[in-house]
Amino acid sequence: MKSFQIRSKMVNSVAVLYLKGHLDAHQVARFEKELVRMIKEGNFNILINGQDLSYITSAGMGIIMGYIDEVREKGGDIKLCALNERVHETFDLVGFTEIYDFVPNEQSALEKFKPLPVKA
Amino acid sequence: MKNSNRFPSKPDFSITILSQTQLLKMVVELTRHISTLFQFPVAEAQKISLAIDEAVTNVIKHSYANKSDRPLTIEYYAAPAGIRIRILYRGLPPDISDEEVNIGRMIKKKRKGGLGVKLMKTIMDSVTYRTVDGENRCEMIKWREAK
Repeated sequence: MKSFQIRSKMVNSVAVLYLKGHLDAHQVARFEKELVRMIKEGNFNILINGQDLSYITSAGMGIIMGYIDEVREKGGDIKLCALNERVHETFDLVGFTEIYDFVPNEQSALEKFKPLPVKA
Repeated sequence: MKNSNRFPSKPDFSITILSQTQLLKMVVELTRHISTLFQFPVAEAQKISLAIDEAVTNVIKHSYANKSDRPLTIEYYAAPAGIRIRILYRGLPPDISDEEVNIGRMIKKKRKGGLGVKLMKTIMDSVTYRTVDGENRCEMIKWREAK
């Protein structure tokens, strides 16, 4: 069994990425590939559900950091939800919790997204 | 006064691995296990292992430019006051900035890297790099007492 798994689905107009397991520098390319695919398909409201994420390093956090500006420029956002205490603390250690929206559960997070601007 | 002289001259445990990211998880589990053997609480041991993950990742990615056949050695030293972990490697010397990490600025520059050293410095009480005769050494210390 792979130590890191990722799957995604659309919920209303929000692309939800479900991360599971151990996300380190060895696994991070798969996370970036899926995030980039979402953005290229025009999904700028992105929710990262980390309910089953047991571990993350700066490699994974760096991917979120690298694309947040592009997503926000398009009127969207990347939010995170359902992180366990340990993973949340890792984000907190680098100061992400002051810049990103961390929400306790998926439903609450979905309700916080604003509709994307209508394309001209 | 605390200083690293409290640590033994020889490591209590050391391991040499190849510069492969697939080995990072093993390094994390090993470091967590050793830290708990050295009487660190589980939560602290988890954070120490994260700092070592970041340090080893930096070696593989930057000093060895992702080449997978280069050696690096991790040494663990225990003392009543804390733990010292050294990573010994060759390759490019580290390029570590003393500049404070500014997340807002990094976001604007769409940077994906640069957070690892911040994590290491936040978790550990001391993080130092030096290069002598082509051998690079990253040394990290965590004291048992609060900072």
